[in-house]
Amino acid sequence: MVKYTLRRLLQAIPTFFGITLLTYMLMLAAPGDPVSLLTFGPSTTQAQRDALAAKLGVNDPAVIQYLRWLTGDDWMRRDTDGDGLSDQCIILACDADGDGVNEQPGDRRGIIRGDFGRSFTKPRNVVDMILERVPATFELGFISLAVGVLVGVPIGILAAVRRGSWFDSVTRIGAVVFSSIPIFWLGLILILLFGRVLFPDVSPNPFMMGGQCPPVLVGGCPPIQGRLVYLVLPVFVLASQGVAVFSRYMRASMLDVMQQDYMRTAYSKGLSGRTTWFKHGARNALIPIATFLGPSITGVLGGAVLTETIFSWPGLGRLGFESVVQQDFPVVMAFVIIGSLATILGYLLSDILYALIDPRIRFN
Amino acid sequence: MNRITKFLLVGAVLALAALLAIPAIAQEEGTGGVIIEASFGGDPGSLNPLLISGATDRDLAGFMFPGLLGTDPSTASIVQRSEAAPEFQGGYLVDSWEVNEDGTSITFTMREDYVWSDGVPVTTADVAYAWEAISRATELGLDVQAVFITEFVDSVEIVDDFTFTVNYKQANCQALAYASSLGGPLAPSHALGPVESLNDSTFNLAPSVTGGPFGFGELRAGEQTSLIANTTYPDGDVLPAGYILRNVPDSTVLVEQFLAGETSVINGPAVSRRADLRAYADEGNATVYSYPGNSWDYFAMNFADPNNPQNAFDADGNRIDQGNHPIFGDPRVRRAAALAVDVESIIGAAVFGEGDRMSSFIIPSSWAYANDLPMLPFDAEAGAALLEEAGWVDDDNDPSTPRVAQGAMYAEDGTPLSFTLFTNEGNARREAIATIFQDQLQQIGFQVNFQTIDFNVLLDIMDSQTFDAFILGWRNGYPDDPDVTQILTGAGDVIASGSNNASYYNERFDELNRLANTPSETDGCTVEGRRPYYVEMQEIFQEDLPYVPLFTVAGMYAAQSNVSGFSPYPSQLYWNVNTWAVNTP
Repeated sequence: MVKYTLRRLLQAIPTFFGITLLTYMLMLAAPGDPVSLLTFGPSTTQAQRDALAAKLGVNDPAVIQYLRWLTGDDWMRRDTDGDGLSDQCIILACDADGDGVNEQPGDRRGIIRGDFGRSFTKPRNVVDMILERVPATFELGFISLAVGVLVGVPIGILAAVRRGSWFDSVTRIGAVVFSSIPIFWLGLILILLFGRVLFPDVSPNPFMMGGQCPPVLVGGCPPIQGRLVYLVLPVFVLASQGVAVFSRYMRASMLDVMQQDYMRTAYSKGLSGRTTWFKHGARNALIPIATFLGPSITGVLGGAVLTETIFSWPGLGRLGFESVVQQDFPVVMAFVIIGSLATILGYLLSDILYALIDPRIRFN
Repeated sequence: MNRITKFLLVGAVLALAALLAIPAIAQEEGTGGVIIEASFGGDPGSLNPLLISGATDRDLAGFMFPGLLGTDPSTASIVQRSEAAPEFQGGYLVDSWEVNEDGTSITFTMREDYVWSDGVPVTTADVAYAWEAISRATELGLDVQAVFITEFVDSVEIVDDFTFTVNYKQANCQALAYASSLGGPLAPSHALGPVESLNDSTFNLAPSVTGGPFGFGELRAGEQTSLIANTTYPDGDVLPAGYILRNVPDSTVLVEQFLAGETSVINGPAVSRRADLRAYADEGNATVYSYPGNSWDYFAMNFADPNNPQNAFDADGNRIDQGNHPIFGDPRVRRAAALAVDVESIIGAAVFGEGDRMSSFIIPSSWAYANDLPMLPFDAEAGAALLEEAGWVDDDNDPSTPRVAQGAMYAEDGTPLSFTLFTNEGNARREAIATIFQDQLQQIGFQVNFQTIDFNVLLDIMDSQTFDAFILGWRNGYPDDPDVTQILTGAGDVIASGSNNASYYNERFDELNRLANTPSETDGCTVEGRRPYYVEMQEIFQEDLPYVPLFTVAGMYAAQSNVSGFSPYPSQLYWNVNTWAVNTP
């Protein structure tokens, strides 16, 4: 298994760079220009726009921009005489904006050396901006996924073994409804319902309308057990779709398993229905679920843009969306890297899980 | 009871216990409670006054650092502290100033009693540091926003610890505003380290030394920024224990949170929800304050040939022939379009009546506004007649087809009266305006191909000056100055750079604008000296109609009824925040 995993990881390297190259070029090809966006307004002169463009490097040829993002520019523009300006330049011009003064020496090390650069829109390092959002995204995503699986899978099993019953009908309708309702609408309705309609005279309201933590001046965010109330509504919204999907997959898988010979054998041995369903049936029915559990886990990393926006959840999804709108290339590319790695690892995880659960699968 | 029922029951009990165990929102100790506001402005990018850029940055920095020059919120004008009313003397540093004879330099005298939160006096060393950062920003690659003032400010000379002189490249009525940008607000130089490393200072997101009514508390990314009362604030006691700005990216939720009492104050709620807020206030739950806004929408028409865009002037200052737009090059067509549009109905539909009509490019709340200038009337019949006169005829008497040119000024015969109208995608207000425009212009024979496009793409089209018409808006600054050099004169008509994208040029208008900004022509830039020029400019504007001016969007603040001290002025919500109190019901 170790050999197989290593081989898959090595194969993923060109895939990863291919994704980043393609995305970078697509991003540059998109209409619009971050400099125009940043300098929109009557107070900026053309010289200042040129200086900003030179600083951000957005006027360089696309290949050079990609190379700089990948490998940094500290080797492209160097200051050898210590005057604070570049004097030894490879690939990049020393005086990029043509104002007669050489640019500052490069100070970026590129993503292959762990430097994701600075945001275009906020004077901050991209890594800092990403890392501070990761915990909130993990918290909401994994809890929602866990609720989705832990509630959806049993519902699917019960719906299958009681096929045609009222329970099966109700859960089927519920699954269709919850997988069809737009997330933003459900979120707003829940906020209205729990925030104002149900508890008009209770102060403070037991259900908070947004955020991850209570609004306090200092002391940070309390441990999760101290702020479960903030999770109830967003987890409900996200998990409801998971419950709908997992329950329908599980039901179909379970129905398939129940037609198998070994289930008939178990019944004929005199085992109880419950033992047969859960011990023999459910375990085998879970195998197909594993195939999309991997990608579901990695989907958590991308955040949930709409849910995070409606519930003011400080996660990655919101940051990613805002960065795309603002053409903040360094932040967008950081998301691409996270997404690429997560997808590659997700499918690898899925394959490994499949092999671990199903003894018929062997690593070759 | 079977196992599943038991499982569900145990789960329900655990969930209930968890909910009951949740502590209520912590109310900090302090005589004035904690002010909680929500905003969809996002996280601050920086809290260093030299690096602030967006509205969130500016608001938070304004709480934590003193301004260099002060503003009288009742008149929205920059004032000398020594002459300001006592209630407007807090939170800023310049006591007085003197302008030299030709208006090219101003000497400022700072008060001597203001100290930073660590006890270090605020001196001209802080001003010198700010100027060094601004003037070397391009060279050092610093993220300083006020770099634009280097176009106008030549140098800053330090006279002594509390006196400095700003020298300008030429005399200009914006001189005070540019000086204000040196410290708007001012940063404590002794806490910042060398200018060269300003971008990477830890101070930027966790300022250790402040000087306003609040100091920095903590920043929780994506969620909130908290500030704590500054107990050493030099301009009086600070009643609130602190201020929290919650990050709420959805405008509907923003209003719901206020209505549910989760926030103390709301600034600029969505126009579609203002009736709800007024009803909430009518029940005695809140105080609402509405004021004429400073952001306004307009319909811009391209004067020049969009197929051959040119700057207004060449490098030697000679006028370049920019050609004429086949439709909007004719002033009669522009006037016809203006007459065909019922702006009052647009205000009702697009902003729920929360807007004030504009007669020209000056917002109604400005001192420069021409009160006697009538609004453009809504008269579709007159508009149709003007189109006939301009050589755009309805040759088939079919209202569903556009008129065609027959002897039009700049279009070949047979050219349909058809143009493309852009606005930015995702802005419901402008999309509503454009839809009504499309409908009403079609009533008199225009064919309007309306497109909403991404703002970035629209900027590209505007910069390249290849459009027919667009609907967009401007947000005026505070204090507002009516200068329109960049947006309506030849100096701003530069492809890919200027903001006069419609290529409007009127020699007299340009000259009046120059005079209105010249100290020697305006009695030293007094309101009385400048106003007549702007009144005439508004008359010319209404005659030429580079824009069809639409309306300003009204501003609104609201505070819960348990908030005392809430007494805002237009665009000035927190001028007296240190006297606010959020009382426990």
